[in-house]
Amino acid sequence: MTRASDPAVEALIAAARADFAGTLVSKAVALEALVSCGAWEDARRAAHKLRGSAGVYGFAELGAAAAELDDVLSRVEETPDAAQQALVREKLRELCALAEHASRAGR
Amino acid sequence: MTQWFEPGEIVADVYEVRALLGAGAMGEVYDAHDRALNRRVALKVARPGIAPDYLVREGRALAAIRHPGVVTVHTIGKHRGLAFLVLERVYGLSLERMIDERRGRGERFAVGEALDLLVAIADALSVVHGAGLVHRDVKPGNVMLAPGGRVVLMDFGLVLPHADRAGHRTAAGSLQYMGPEALSGDIVEGAAALLDVYAVGVLAYELLCGIAPFDGGDSREVYRSKVRKPLPPVSRLRPDVPAALGDLVAQLMAPDPQERPQGAEAVLWQLRALRSRVGAGTEARPFSVLIVDDDGDMRRALALYVRAAAPGAEIETIGDGRTAIRAVRRRVPDLLLVDLDLPDINGIEVCMLLRGMRLGDACLIVSISSRATRADVELLQQLGVRSLEKGPALVTQLAEIIERMRPNH
Repeated sequence: MTRASDPAVEALIAAARADFAGTLVSKAVALEALVSCGAWEDARRAAHKLRGSAGVYGFAELGAAAAELDDVLSRVEETPDAAQQALVREKLRELCALAEHASRAGR
Repeated sequence: MTQWFEPGEIVADVYEVRALLGAGAMGEVYDAHDRALNRRVALKVARPGIAPDYLVREGRALAAIRHPGVVTVHTIGKHRGLAFLVLERVYGLSLERMIDERRGRGERFAVGEALDLLVAIADALSVVHGAGLVHRDVKPGNVMLAPGGRVVLMDFGLVLPHADRAGHRTAAGSLQYMGPEALSGDIVEGAAALLDVYAVGVLAYELLCGIAPFDGGDSREVYRSKVRKPLPPVSRLRPDVPAALGDLVAQLMAPDPQERPQGAEAVLWQLRALRSRVGAGTEARPFSVLIVDDDGDMRRALALYVRAAAPGAEIETIGDGRTAIRAVRRRVPDLLLVDLDLPDINGIEVCMLLRGMRLGDACLIVSISSRATRADVELLQQLGVRSLEKGPALVTQLAEIIERMRPNH
């Protein structure tokens, strides 16, 4: 994931990635909380951020899962219908599982 | 002033005219959007009554040259009976404006900085001369400083083949920068390229000393100043300039063309040799990057990737659009990386504001997003903003952009 040739910068990038991995579970928990209280727009923003940062830190699968959740939440109107809510929860479950896995692998 | 093309007009079914960029004695230049290739271009139009040959000559001359220091020509055409040339849209500041701004602030160009500019100009000019052409209008107003330190020689409206004896008998160009032999109509066969060498000398004097040496007066007075009145030596006005550089500037402006270096390539080698002796990096401004993203994780990652690609770069990170605009006002970075999904004013608005205020002209703006629509990307392209997608490929793309901006690092 990196192109750094300077070992010091390489080490900094590795440290940043490990730090990021260490926050993934709490990010997923925060997302769950936003969804469960119906803060759809905040949840979308959080998913959108994770979509970008996970990809850039080299967690491609997690980034893809966050992208799916971001896309689903973007289609949600003020009050999502039951089918949309079910889809959000399904995508969120996938994301949480990947976040946990990435957190373990990335540290 | 008459505008030959109107904003919104579609020229030759392809080029949508946006705004007039400038007008001169020979014609006008417009900002336009190429609807077929979805890119911004510059349209140069010959004034009615001006022989359209001059645009053809300019177009053909530019087509013969391929060099980052020379503006690229795309095509030539006619619309409503008006000849036009389609050119690369170069974003940036003219050297003239930069000199004026420095003068206004009482600042001078550092020796290394002036040499970097002169090397780039001589490099472009050596390619022009190598193609058998003479520019004939080298001056700060025809040098653009584009993002990434690119120096571009513009306006080839007066270009002539080296061998066009009849053409060189007609004095053309800007009085201040014109060799005295052009003013007296006394250009020796085979020596036309030395007019450009002279102009580089005047430009070098102005860069180093902060004064335009032959400013004011009619052509007769200027001619007399050029051949009879020696200028104060560079070393007197700038004691920090190496003596060899001061001597070279004096040689470039020698009234007798045969006493000048015999072509841009000879000038280039001398300038390069001088540049290598002037403390590398001691005066040059470090490569600077401004990162704007509301996500702290992204800011940290981007800063590290920039650092990996550009060791020694000055990196500033900011979390919102308003602060970013203030930062660019304070100091224009070489590269601006801006997230589109910002909370207050979004990234597209930031780009529009910067381009609208002409604050971001001298920097390369790259937008970074994970969900830009096609319309967003097209709009950004029209603003001269490159779009990248957040994701695993971003790191490589970013490194490539930085490498292209800093080819000698």
